[in-house]
Amino acid sequence: MSYAPSPAALARIDRTIAGYPERPAAILPVLHIIQEEAGFVSGEAARWVAARLGLEAVRVREVISFYTMFRTAPAGRHTLRVCRNLSCHLAGADDLLSFISQKLGIGPDETTSDGGITLVTAECLGNCDHAPCLQIDGVDHGPVSRDAAAALIEEIQAHGR
Amino acid sequence: MVDNGLALLPSDDRAWRLEAYLARGGYDAARKAVTTMTPEAVVCEIRDAVLRGRGGAGFPAGVKWGFVPRGLAGPKYLCVNADEGEPGTFKDRHVLCCAPHQLLEGMVIAAYGVGIGSAYIYVRGEYALIADRLRAAIGEARSAGYLGPDIFGSDFGLEVTVHPGAGAYICGEETALLESLEGRRGQPRVKPPFPATVGLFRSPTVINNVETLASVPQILARGAEWFRGRGLPQDGGTRLFGVSGAVRHPGVYELPVGTSLRTIVEISAGGPPEGRSIKAVVPGGLSAPVLRPEELDVAMDFDALAKAGSMLGSAGIIVVSDETPILDVLLVTARFYAHESCGKCTPCRIGTSWILKVVERLKRLGGGPDDLDLIVRLAGGISGRTLCPLGDGAALPIRALVSKFRGELEQAVTR
Amino acid sequence: MNGAKPVALTIDGRKVVADEGTNILEAAAMAGVDIPHFCYHPGLQVEGSCRMCLVEIEGLPKLELSCSTPVREGQIVRTASDRVRQARRDVLEFLLAEHPLDCPICDKAGECRLQDYYDLHGGFPGRMSEPRRRRAKKVPIGRGLILDRERCILCTRCVRFLRQVTGTGELGVFERGLGTEIGICEEAPVANGYSGNLVDICPVGAITAEDFRFKTRAWFLDRKPSVCPHCSRGCAVVVESVKGYPLSKGERRVYRITAGEAPAVNGFWICDLGRDGRHEIDEGRQTRILKGGEPAAGLFWPQAVAEIASMIRSLPGPDRDGRITVVLNSRLTCEELALAKALFATGLGLDRISFADPRPGPSDDLLLTAERAPNGRGVLEAGFAPRLPLLHELATSKVALIFGTGLAAHFPEEAVAGALAEIPFKVLFEAHAMPYDRLADLVIPVAVPAEKSGTYVNIDGLRQSFGRAVEPGPGIVPEGQILIALARRLGCDPGGSDGR
Repeated sequence: MSYAPSPAALARIDRTIAGYPERPAAILPVLHIIQEEAGFVSGEAARWVAARLGLEAVRVREVISFYTMFRTAPAGRHTLRVCRNLSCHLAGADDLLSFISQKLGIGPDETTSDGGITLVTAECLGNCDHAPCLQIDGVDHGPVSRDAAAALIEEIQAHGR
Repeated sequence: MVDNGLALLPSDDRAWRLEAYLARGGYDAARKAVTTMTPEAVVCEIRDAVLRGRGGAGFPAGVKWGFVPRGLAGPKYLCVNADEGEPGTFKDRHVLCCAPHQLLEGMVIAAYGVGIGSAYIYVRGEYALIADRLRAAIGEARSAGYLGPDIFGSDFGLEVTVHPGAGAYICGEETALLESLEGRRGQPRVKPPFPATVGLFRSPTVINNVETLASVPQILARGAEWFRGRGLPQDGGTRLFGVSGAVRHPGVYELPVGTSLRTIVEISAGGPPEGRSIKAVVPGGLSAPVLRPEELDVAMDFDALAKAGSMLGSAGIIVVSDETPILDVLLVTARFYAHESCGKCTPCRIGTSWILKVVERLKRLGGGPDDLDLIVRLAGGISGRTLCPLGDGAALPIRALVSKFRGELEQAVTR
Repeated sequence: MNGAKPVALTIDGRKVVADEGTNILEAAAMAGVDIPHFCYHPGLQVEGSCRMCLVEIEGLPKLELSCSTPVREGQIVRTASDRVRQARRDVLEFLLAEHPLDCPICDKAGECRLQDYYDLHGGFPGRMSEPRRRRAKKVPIGRGLILDRERCILCTRCVRFLRQVTGTGELGVFERGLGTEIGICEEAPVANGYSGNLVDICPVGAITAEDFRFKTRAWFLDRKPSVCPHCSRGCAVVVESVKGYPLSKGERRVYRITAGEAPAVNGFWICDLGRDGRHEIDEGRQTRILKGGEPAAGLFWPQAVAEIASMIRSLPGPDRDGRITVVLNSRLTCEELALAKALFATGLGLDRISFADPRPGPSDDLLLTAERAPNGRGVLEAGFAPRLPLLHELATSKVALIFGTGLAAHFPEEAVAGALAEIPFKVLFEAHAMPYDRLADLVIPVAVPAEKSGTYVNIDGLRQSFGRAVEPGPGIVPEGQILIALARRLGCDPGGSDGR
């Protein structure tokens, strides 16, 4: 079973590679494109990237393991990132995180049993004037109260998928 | 965000578009630079304005641009550091969201001045949606001829690519950013050589922060004297101060360099909430050593803060109230640096985690003065010994927290 | 000195002159000052990550890396000030905080930089009481190499060697922060012909060789330099052996061959072929004189040589050169080749002289040459016009003197046996036992190159003399001694230099 990106993703990937004088430089945007489509970067996909960029497989693994945004295993359909750095901590991020954790029934780096949501803690998301903040699938929310968090979660869950 | 009429950041979210930007005089400064000035004159103007880097290090932009050798064959690159990861810092987000064209115009001027034809904007991975807007702005600019080949009918052109990061604070360090852009782990390089001679793809490279470049058009438009006069002779202009934490009005405030910290915290941001008092203030992002309430009259410029034993850094001000135990601040701080240490050099790789282990133990089980002494000693083993400034960014704030709040910490951990 | 400008600086109060472009660490070494370091290696690009080599430079506020700072005219460097000593202690303390107390079971003990530097620059009590991160301790990474991630200090010498020297890049650095670890992609383990260098360059016991693990202790090893005989590069090697404890009294074993440093030949590296060469020093050796295929108790090599001499003398005069065949090889030293020339070509006037060496193999872009014998140039220098042996020439000899085991590389066993069967008197001088030994009238054991002293001329024409690295077993001598004795017995002038 070998990996191949969709034709649309492949077109984006090749366009991206063309934007750099050296192919390996495209590795971060290419990995993002692949993860956006598949939800994670599988071993197969990593080998595909290595071949496409002219890199040894071990170099791709180096990059994937260094940067925290890449996943090597399937995760939830939605990612809920909760910031716990200083400004958000001062605004009650600890409490927010426990509340969300309890509501979802999972801890950080875990996924709900229906595969819907993966909970992740994050360092500063650059949204400190709206602390405590969180990010759902890349969309910033803040300041997030317990009620607001509950509403956001219910909205995700209501849409099923 | 308070609109105080200085308009680095428009307050209307639709004002990011090219049409709105042009209506406020957008790209006039770039036109002036490219069509009426020599590249050398452009660099001189920025140097005379004493525009110091707004990313954290505060290196004067004009001097940095002057380091790139002229007349060399081969490509040169401009890298925009949009990796905004310094905790407490969110100003670049506002620039990218509300004034992307201002950044682009600053890039055009910089590239013209240094002789650069290709630029990469390294945007942190968590700002993915913001990066999309940036790409849209680039598209607008390119269609209208403000980017691409033959800008303003000259033989100067600039191509801009948005490059996403993927969750590594260390990539805000300029040589780690270059490594990351080249497709590798974001680990800092040994300097020398410096990026001005050996940078991106081994070519001469200028790396500037988002706000630094976005500040450039106004200098060309109104003059170096004007800009410098708005701040201090040794540190010109206004800059974007971010305030967060225990304040009534967290946000971004554009104020003159040299404004006192107290003014920013108590006047602009409204001071602490009802019934609370200020216990500590981080003046320049988490990497800037904390200041006690009696130290708040310091002027917010690089030299004054350095003299006060801290730093202006990214001007990310975080206010801690009496409600928050300093042990918690210490834990959050230690945890951040241990998580973000790239792992390349010995003192940071091992020291930051060792400190975290001690602080976690203190929080869980308590301890004594020896443990606090140990933390200070470990911080001393990191400070000044590392390959890049993250080491100092970890060690100096941690040491300051322990030494300035020793009493409270001893009480908290003794059980 | 090739046009480089000399730079004068002061290191610890002493005036040092070094070429422009030299780093402070190397300049200090030239002045006899050893600045401790882990990640720096003169054969690799600078990494600057271990932070152990920090020194004080007058006029600069922070301590600076001596490995990456070039010397400057008038620089004043201090490598032993209090600040520097403290910085070293701190680096050691950090490394030891996350390092297992494996010394009693670690093969690197006794030759470990972490141990040595703690001894010289540490000496502080352990103050880490938090739990240390546990990691995998026995990760096979290919070519019989084992990675212990707990011991690894992340100097990245191994990663850089494979990227910068062999260009194969099998090792990578994964994760970050304290979780950083070295590893391979399982489907692409270390698989190049220079993998053994990884053990040499690892400053601690993180990379070890299965071949050496738990076999002996570094402080038992007697280390002697030699020249590798497995190709014509002539790399400097170190033969490491133990005689006696923990083996039976008197028994000797070569445990390891490591790289010697020879800037004009192999730099800092040797290939795995050369390392594996340790096996032939101890294994499969011919250890006794055989007569008619049976061990000849009570017969020693001088008497055997006398028998050979009388057999040669028994051949009628003018016919002699047509009926004596000598097979030599390119493992003989220049001194031995001179003796052979003087005796066989000049003294006895033979023209049936041929050379049987291992077949050529693939060369690589680094060190390994196609020619798989060490002294092909020496053979030419001695005045020989080397040619391969001819079986029919052998078969029609009255006397055959065969030095070495090279025939087997060129002819199938039956063919050699068949040819030998035709020869009335055949003598084998060999270091290793061969299947056709039973067919020979006399088999005389000889030394391997590591047991000899002499000179080889390498592929670039460089003459390299080496001394004996290990003692041969009882009754085993280098070919040179046999040639001298034979020449004397035959009344020929041995000529050349003493091959002893």
